Amino acid sequence: MMTWRNIWIVFAREIRDQLRDRRTIFMVAVLPVLLYPLLGMIFFQLAQVMGEKPSRILVIGAREPLEPPLFDETGFVSSVFVSPQDAVLLKVEFLSDEVLKARAGSASEDPGRALAEEALRTEHYDAVLYFPPGFAAQLADFREGIRQQIAAGLSSEANSEAKPGSEKSPEEAGEDASQKQQPTPRTVVVSRSAIPSPRVYYSTANDRSQTAYRRLVELLDRWTDQVMVANLAAARLPPDAARPFVFETADVAVQSGFRGAAVWAKILPILLVMWALTGAFYPAVDLCAGEKERGTLETLLSSPARRSEIVLGKLGAITVFSMVTAVLNLISMGLTGWLAFGHLPDFAAPPLFAIFWLAVALLPVSLVFSCLALGIAAFARSTKEGQYYLLPLLFCTLPLVGVPMARGSELDLGTALVPITGLVLLLKTMIEGQMTEALRFVFPVGLVTLGGCYFALRWAVYQFNSETVLFRESERFHLVAWLRHIFRQRAVPSGAAALTCGLAILLMRFLLTNILTRIGVSWNLVQQALISQVVVILLPVVVLAALLTREIRATFLLRLPSWRAVIGAVLLAVMLHPAFFTWQQVIVRLYPLDPVLKESLKQLTGQALDLRQLLLVMALLPAICEELAFRGFILTGFRSSLRPTHALIFAALFFALGHTILQQSMVAFAAGLILGVIAIQTGSLLPCVIYHAIHNGLLILQGSLGQSRWVSDPWIKAMMTWTDEGPTYHLSVVVFGILAAGLIFAWMISRPEVLRSYLAEEETGSH
Amino acid sequence: MTVIESEGLTPCCRSSAIVSVEQLTKYYDDLRRGRIVAVDGISFSASPGEIFGLLGPNGAGKTTTLRILSTLLKPTAGRVLINGYDGLTQPDQVRRSIGFMSVNTAVYDRMTAWEMVEYFGMLYGLDRQELRDRMERLFDRLKMQEIRDLLGSKMSTGMKQKVSIARALVHDPPVLIFDEPTAGLDVLVARALLTTIAELRDQGKCVIFSTHIMREAEKLCDRIAILHRGQILAMGTLEELREQSGENDLEELFFQLITEAERKRADRAS
Repeated sequence: MMTWRNIWIVFAREIRDQLRDRRTIFMVAVLPVLLYPLLGMIFFQLAQVMGEKPSRILVIGAREPLEPPLFDETGFVSSVFVSPQDAVLLKVEFLSDEVLKARAGSASEDPGRALAEEALRTEHYDAVLYFPPGFAAQLADFREGIRQQIAAGLSSEANSEAKPGSEKSPEEAGEDASQKQQPTPRTVVVSRSAIPSPRVYYSTANDRSQTAYRRLVELLDRWTDQVMVANLAAARLPPDAARPFVFETADVAVQSGFRGAAVWAKILPILLVMWALTGAFYPAVDLCAGEKERGTLETLLSSPARRSEIVLGKLGAITVFSMVTAVLNLISMGLTGWLAFGHLPDFAAPPLFAIFWLAVALLPVSLVFSCLALGIAAFARSTKEGQYYLLPLLFCTLPLVGVPMARGSELDLGTALVPITGLVLLLKTMIEGQMTEALRFVFPVGLVTLGGCYFALRWAVYQFNSETVLFRESERFHLVAWLRHIFRQRAVPSGAAALTCGLAILLMRFLLTNILTRIGVSWNLVQQALISQVVVILLPVVVLAALLTREIRATFLLRLPSWRAVIGAVLLAVMLHPAFFTWQQVIVRLYPLDPVLKESLKQLTGQALDLRQLLLVMALLPAICEELAFRGFILTGFRSSLRPTHALIFAALFFALGHTILQQSMVAFAAGLILGVIAIQTGSLLPCVIYHAIHNGLLILQGSLGQSRWVSDPWIKAMMTWTDEGPTYHLSVVVFGILAAGLIFAWMISRPEVLRSYLAEEETGSH
Repeated sequence: MTVIESEGLTPCCRSSAIVSVEQLTKYYDDLRRGRIVAVDGISFSASPGEIFGLLGPNGAGKTTTLRILSTLLKPTAGRVLINGYDGLTQPDQVRRSIGFMSVNTAVYDRMTAWEMVEYFGMLYGLDRQELRDRMERLFDRLKMQEIRDLLGSKMSTGMKQKVSIARALVHDPPVLIFDEPTAGLDVLVARALLTTIAELRDQGKCVIFSTHIMREAEKLCDRIAILHRGQILAMGTLEELREQSGENDLEELFFQLITEAERKRADRAS
């Protein structure tokens, strides 16, 4: 029996041992306390040196004076800046007219444009502001046009009052007026298209150019406003006419204490995760790989402490250090931030409840990484080897942490089921204060997290039990020898082969889907099913089986089952159908399908296929291919390395992952477990294929039921009710189906002689 | 010159035996060399108050055998009984019955001698008070009081060896397994260690002792098994071995046995 006493003894020793280790103390305590003030200091020093650099702007074609003015002799006029100091940030140079004129002779129609592009390319300038020829004059004409129209309108109004009955449009009136009043008549066009557009040239490939662009656009916006005000004045309208009101904004978070929660909700979880990982990793390597390296592990393992006790004791110590590291880092960072930025108006301290949720999440986050680090450290031969694994682990973790930080990523069923991502998103949602939303996903996130911890721990214990891992000597890796070693050395696949196969199927699916989309091929349902079953699933399985195993029959469970198993499989699939159908409905109701996906699915299944074809492609074909892969190669492989329950779970997990749509995967997981049990109990693949085909077939039939005359059948009516959303089974039918399935299963796996003797006893008992 | 058959000399399971090993075999697979037979069907037994020596060159299978005895490795075939417990089915009881000291006398760097011994004493489930009394006696007997509060990293090899012995003895096991305990020790320390082992025998402990040094085996062991390529070439008391081979010098005897075995091997191969 595992005793808590031994776990505690190991735990206490490891804690004391690590506290005496200078490196650990440095990593866990000293570094975080020093790091952030140091970073803050460096930041301020650099800020002094760096400052804001002025952007160099070339202005082309602005020699004619603009009204309102944009330039003076040195650069932009001060009225276009919010504060006059900002003028320093834009260094303006004007292209001299001589250069323009010299270029005017060249082939290019618009020499300014060619020059602008050239000026940017040679990288002397960060942005170029280009005014086409005649811009100033056109702008002036435009305003003049407005003024005249207004004046003409006013006078024509006066005229029309004098001569009632005349029906002239304002334009005509304007023309009239200009003809009358202007001594030199000319055409005035009040149309925006008449003015050639000025241009800002910049490059998104260059950071400095983008800054210049940002500054320039801000300033030009203000000038455009001035132009508008001038035009309004020309039209004799008040300057506020174009913008009689502004929208005011109000942040409710400020009052409710949620201010800044969105920012903290992004930053705090990522910091927590990264430091929990780092804090777990170094002690883990020292406690496992280090002990192996120093030879003390052999001594420890010959003591009566059980492997699981040793592992749990070590895990406890690692988790404590992981938590302490994370806490110290967050505190130190918080204090530094408060000291450095606390006086800024934009700065808001993280809300109290955010800190509360962080504290709640600390233990599970640390536990996950401690388990993971422990497993990896137990595998490593030496501390050096252990430390090599930190970087890959970090790289695998970063996207999982980074995805939730991306804009628009939300906690939904899909993200909740991704390890770490789900945890981070849950924490983010809680810090944002969306408790009801978060509570819905506590269960799936918790399940995935605890499941991950459990398997990482089992892995670590396994490694403490494994002779090859414990007494592994550093041997030279030899590719040819290794290939010869794995080539058909085993009768049935190993766990590693099963894992490879599962991953190969997932990879194939990913590659194929993306390649097909890239090429732009659109397949119909039959082609899609064929490709996804034969190429994605069957091909990797067959190749791996040919390469790695000697006994095809044992690998794929190609044995004739008993008649009992066959009949049992048929009955099981039928009896469990209501339960699965209901389970599917519950899932879709809880976690609705993405509308885009739903639409494309509808299109796909709506293709004109008769029922027989549909059954062939969607029921029989997957039943054969998927069973060969998941209950054949993969389950057999996992069973040869793991205990049956774990093998069952892993095979079902891959079966679920093999279904791309998440809601489908959840149904597939349950089905995978049942199919796995059938495979293990009957020792044959055939009952699995039968069960699978009937399972799929019934779901398809159920889907096409709506269009058929069967709806009015009294049997169907007795079993289900019809709503707008389709049929639903009565609960009693579901429960009956499950109970019946249980009995059928018991009958299926019971040995006939046992049953017979049982029946005989019954008979004698009843007489 | 005849190779002395092991079965001829000692019955593998004597009634008084506290350690008995039957047809112990251990293979492991190596990528380059294929299947390696580390221990090839060896049988021996040892009684309380006896030092049983495993004498063999490097790579003979001594360490593998002793690791199997201490339940660190599982045998491919064969059976180990220690103090009446089966190594495969009752590893916990076996571990309680043995004190194991491995080749690389590993001592925790960041623990003092006292803490280290105490740690293992606690893992053996000893009561705190009882443990303290026993440790005081042990530290007195092994003259370890002056290194009591010294950290492992500061200890000399000899000191570490003492701590390892104290650690192996703390739960007072009936069987002690020492894997090349004198490796890397200077003459004085090695001698002191051998004296301690002899004392342990005199207290009635059964000691399994591996070495590749003839002199040690000659001086210390009550019975010796000569191990080569995972097989026992000869086994018995020193007198028995000398009698059977007609060779007085153990080193000479050892050399002859191994040359003979190698020659037979070469014959078989050709």
